[in-house]
Amino acid sequence: MPGSRHSRFASLHDVELCGLSVTGDRRAFGELVRRHGSAVRGVLRRMGAPSAEADDVAQDAFITAFERIAEFRGEGAFAAWVKKIAARLYLRRLQRDRKLGLLAAEAIEDEPETPRGDADAAIDLEEALKVLGAVERLCVTMCFGAGLSHSEAAEALNLPLGTVKSHVKRGLEKLRARLAPENGVVLEGRRGNG
Amino acid sequence: MVELDFERRLERLFASVPELPDAATFADRVERRLAAGWIARRWLIGAAGVVGGVIGASQLMLSNVFQRVETAGDSARLLSTSFNHMSTGADWYAAVSGGGTVVWVAAGLAVIMMGFVLTRMIGEI
Repeated sequence: MPGSRHSRFASLHDVELCGLSVTGDRRAFGELVRRHGSAVRGVLRRMGAPSAEADDVAQDAFITAFERIAEFRGEGAFAAWVKKIAARLYLRRLQRDRKLGLLAAEAIEDEPETPRGDADAAIDLEEALKVLGAVERLCVTMCFGAGLSHSEAAEALNLPLGTVKSHVKRGLEKLRARLAPENGVVLEGRRGNG
Repeated sequence: MVELDFERRLERLFASVPELPDAATFADRVERRLAAGWIARRWLIGAAGVVGGVIGASQLMLSNVFQRVETAGDSARLLSTSFNHMSTGADWYAAVSGGGTVVWVAAGLAVIMMGFVLTRMIGEI
């Protein structure tokens, strides 16, 4: 019975489940997938992946995580570690399908969106992200959703660091205009660690 | 300061992902893929063992090992006869050593042990 099968893992901490997974316990790892699957899929969708593709990549990311679980030292959160794997896998897929170049070209042609003035409606992040160009969206989500630094994102995207910083900065400005239209301060971007 | 606040807010927004309705199905799919990978791995190990066994057996046949074993069996029989002559109390040894059985049993055990060790080693890798 699936419920009882997984119940003994429900009370365990992520670190304990990772410890069991290192020994090859697939059910313990399944509990980790149950806990963090939505978060990983969510990041991929926010990066612009269609639902089915996001699910495929998320599955691959968890399989990769299981194979490399011994490398996870527990210094950060397990979910953050898998999100980074997933983000890199998605980018690799985009590069393989030669979609990344198209997205970059698309970004150059992007018209700057006019911030929507109606602050009355509670705009969720998904809606706000739609305002961003494809590459801006990728960069912002990789840095704020998947927890990559600017330099890691630049390496994964195969773009110059300065370009990634510019995309993040522009993306943040648009998001801010969308999420908090009353503030007009230009953002500098805290993650200038590259 | 204002931008830091916004970035923290953004991080919180990114961190708050609602549980997707098919989360359990997704986890089951991943578990099934992991299980399938494990089964494939076991089949591969098994197939590698069979291939290794066939190669080993063919090598044994090619090197006339059976003739040598028969010679060894004769030697063992000769030895056991000598032992029988030397010690009348050693009847148990004669019982098991007849017809080179001991050599065959030892060889079989050695092959099983080697197979077990190899499987464990591949499993660890």
